[in-house]
Amino acid sequence: MNFDLSEEQQLVSDSIERFVQENYHLDSRIAIVKKSPGYSEEYWKTMSELGWLGLPFSEDDGGFGGDQIDTMVLMEQFGKGLVLEPYLASIILGGGAIKRAGNDEQRQAWLEGVIDGSKQLALAYAEPESGDEPHNVALAGSKTSDGYTLTGTKCMVLHGGTATAFVVSFRTSGGTVDQSGITLALIPADREGLSIQAFPTVDGLQSSELTFDKVAVTAADIIGDVDGGFETLNATINDGILAVAAEAVGAMEVLYKDTVAYTQDREQFDHPLSDFQVLQHRMVEMFMEYEQCKSLLFRATMEVASNGEDAQRCVHALKHLIGKASFFVGENAVQTHGGMGVTEELRVGHYFKRLLVIEAQFGNTDYHLDQFAA
Amino acid sequence: MDIELSKEDLDFEAEVRGFLKENAYTGGDAEAWRMNWFEKAREKGNWDVPKWPVKFGGPGWTPNQHFVWQKETARAGTPWDMPFGLSMLGPVLMAHGSEEQQQRFLPDIRARKVNWCQGYSEPGAGSDLASLKTKAELSEDGSHYVVNGTKIWTTMAHIADWIFCLTRTSDAGIKQEGITFLLFPMKQDGVEIKPIITLGGSHTVNTVFFSDVKVPVENRVGEEGKGWTYAKGLLEHERTGIAGISNSIVALEGLKNKARSVKRGNGSLMDVPSFRAKVAELEVDLMAVEYTELRSLATASAGTAPGPESSILKLKGTDIQQRIQKLTMEAGGQFSAAWGGTNAGPDFARAGMGGYMSSRVYTIYGGASEVQKDIVTKKVLGIKSSKK
Repeated sequence: MNFDLSEEQQLVSDSIERFVQENYHLDSRIAIVKKSPGYSEEYWKTMSELGWLGLPFSEDDGGFGGDQIDTMVLMEQFGKGLVLEPYLASIILGGGAIKRAGNDEQRQAWLEGVIDGSKQLALAYAEPESGDEPHNVALAGSKTSDGYTLTGTKCMVLHGGTATAFVVSFRTSGGTVDQSGITLALIPADREGLSIQAFPTVDGLQSSELTFDKVAVTAADIIGDVDGGFETLNATINDGILAVAAEAVGAMEVLYKDTVAYTQDREQFDHPLSDFQVLQHRMVEMFMEYEQCKSLLFRATMEVASNGEDAQRCVHALKHLIGKASFFVGENAVQTHGGMGVTEELRVGHYFKRLLVIEAQFGNTDYHLDQFAA
Repeated sequence: MDIELSKEDLDFEAEVRGFLKENAYTGGDAEAWRMNWFEKAREKGNWDVPKWPVKFGGPGWTPNQHFVWQKETARAGTPWDMPFGLSMLGPVLMAHGSEEQQQRFLPDIRARKVNWCQGYSEPGAGSDLASLKTKAELSEDGSHYVVNGTKIWTTMAHIADWIFCLTRTSDAGIKQEGITFLLFPMKQDGVEIKPIITLGGSHTVNTVFFSDVKVPVENRVGEEGKGWTYAKGLLEHERTGIAGISNSIVALEGLKNKARSVKRGNGSLMDVPSFRAKVAELEVDLMAVEYTELRSLATASAGTAPGPESSILKLKGTDIQQRIQKLTMEAGGQFSAAWGGTNAGPDFARAGMGGYMSSRVYTIYGGASEVQKDIVTKKVLGIKSSKK
């Protein structure tokens, strides 16, 4: 048994930590958020040059052959800085679907650009009424002579505004909530009939809504097998959950540590706040929640990376615990910081907002507990 | 023990409903409607100042009538109103102000002509309010005070005409002594206001800086050095208001309707057991706290300051408000994360996470929950700290 990072992983972790410390002060982050496209193109280029964008792709695809443990190390550090660049959207989700199920032409056409940062992919799977279920797909493909046409909507597509192409789930057979009958296609952003409405989210990141008006999908656009897209979609979303869970663990570490530091600094009733036992115990509980999340993050990530039998259950358990702990740690960090905690001036509120968005993504806390128990 | 409303109470209820229906907003100039509404309420029988004692022009309602009014106005909605003059400074002036001050300030408060703000918290004095440092120095001829210092979290300071302000006039003795309650205009040289933007993205609170602001001695309420005593009663009024129980009853109904509009499977989100259970738990707590408030209403005759029990109402009431916001955000799902620029998802989801973040302040302002619990410990449970 060994929970230590490899020498290579430690190097990556250290270099990302340095990058975040140097480039992601609260003020510089707010400046990036306010300016289009909502992330730093310079940082994105740096991330590509440092090899981070190629981390989870095979060497054949031009990457470094890393697995979920490698991206966990990276995402945890990203979480400490609330990094804004579209790593989750393009590398984990969009790129993740192509690396799993893309054919040779698709890999050659797209992955080189994804890894060097010149192209971005995004995953479009959620719909207005799909709730928390990734298999709830109503967008139907009408059969044509050489493919399908799509008319409908996809929602909450991360970083859709800057994506070069979308991995889109649509229904080719079965009922709206069937796992079979879902097909994935790779559709360029400039395809006729596709319109993209980009908007910011409360955490300062970018999302979008896609409207399909008789968008043509040809046989060459299909990723993997017709009707057989769910397995790829689900595995990709599981990677997304592992990634945001690692980010959340990084964010929670900042929240509990900032709270400990603040209570030692702030004096009321002629004592530092940290003298009050009710606050001491509260911070101990915040710390324990963080540690529990970190343990389950390790467990779920290793299970998925090794294709363990228990992988899916671990992912459900992790997303549930992360959500529950996010509320506990976030609410108490804000409460303990008092009035300052609810202003834009201190970073605690910004970290909590990121945790809220993560909680609602890829199925919320209750949904995953229900799936875990099923 | 009897919780039935009498025939008189039911008649009153019908009358209130009639009034609220007749004077509901139907469009047009909102400010003109607002002023007219208060005028009509006054004509109706001093309904524009329900909580003021008869001596100061209030209606002299029974506790049951107050309950009916609160319930009906929460459902029907009333014009926008600021609590600072009406519910906070008003009672202090009635209890501790001079007759001259009462005549000078109460009519304009009642007519909603002058907006007040509250100068209490300071950067170094939050939960520990009594450690405040804003200094008021009496001039040599004894005609005025000169005020210097900083107040923070001052709600609506940017639209207020006047401030009631706790200042320090002496450092001798314990810190609760030497605090003086002053009134002065906000729109004058030496008063500088800096907005604070909160995480919900809104501007309601401010930092306010005073440099050499001159305040005539006739604007001091009560005695010099006794301000803390006056302020404490006022905080209890504030806490009862912050509990917002009637509003939560309406908001809970709103939450259920919202959840029913969200499709899940063949039904709605209200059919999902885990969500439904959370709404039900919330409703049970709200049913109980509604009667906790009624019990305190029944023992306190109108116009007098509520006691330390108001801390219980604040603790429970704000927890309930926060849970309503949290479940509303949850009902909006992923769409609650959107920050403008989209019509995706249900309409109510648009401000979901912003609303939730804004609600976090409920357990911080008006005395943080931790402070409320200290008050209950000492004043209700009677536990004294024994230093060893």
